[in-house]
Amino acid sequence: MKTDPTFWILARSSGLLAYALLTSSVLAGLVLKSRPFGTALKAATVADLHRFLAMLGLGAVLAHASALVLDSTVHIGIGSLLVPGLAPYRPLWTGLGVLAAELMVVVYASFSLRKRIGARNWRRLHWATYLIFALATVHGLTAGTDSSQPWALGLYGGAVGAVVAATAWRALVPPTKGESRVPHRDRPVAV
Amino acid sequence: MYRIEIDRSLCSGFGSCAELASRSFFLGPDGIAAVHEAETDDDAVLEAAAACPMGAIAVYDERGRQAA
Repeated sequence: MKTDPTFWILARSSGLLAYALLTSSVLAGLVLKSRPFGTALKAATVADLHRFLAMLGLGAVLAHASALVLDSTVHIGIGSLLVPGLAPYRPLWTGLGVLAAELMVVVYASFSLRKRIGARNWRRLHWATYLIFALATVHGLTAGTDSSQPWALGLYGGAVGAVVAATAWRALVPPTKGESRVPHRDRPVAV
Repeated sequence: MYRIEIDRSLCSGFGSCAELASRSFFLGPDGIAAVHEAETDDDAVLEAAAACPMGAIAVYDERGRQAA
């Protein structure tokens, strides 16, 4: 009997979608941090977009995981979704994906807990996003069925290029800080 | 009349508050939001508090209830 490829196709497409959403969220976060567009983009809008993209990304990760369990091409159970390296299919490379997904949940949840854990710890934890992005990239390239396709390589290359460029901007271009961001007429006469 | 409180540890200096309620908020030299007066009748502070990406601004009304 021929196996139904529906869930396998869904697993692949949702994985790629999750990667694209994660990349978009990371880029929005970097735009929020270094404000390359100045006041042309409102911080509150970018922050909303950043969180919304992260939430959609987690949704796509959930769809990716569910499709892999429902699919019969590879035998992936609930346990191997939670424990990195347990999956029989490319255990190291799928394990990196599991780790990335778990870290994504932790970083996403930490925003709601930022007052309890303290803003400094919340910011420290957010550095894990770079690790998540690296893990997700390697996971996609090594575990993904479509990784040899030129369009998939274009996606990964474009995503890494954009995140590296935005990170370089963050590191090299000093952020506009303090009163310089507030229009001159609104500056306090005395503080 | 509103009373404004800023959690300085949470504030990340995005400046949304200074954009939305420039009569009341500004970014200090350290890049952290500050207020001209801790008490104000400027209704824009409600919008500014709601728009703060970090939720670092609390606004209380005259009865001490949190208004935003």
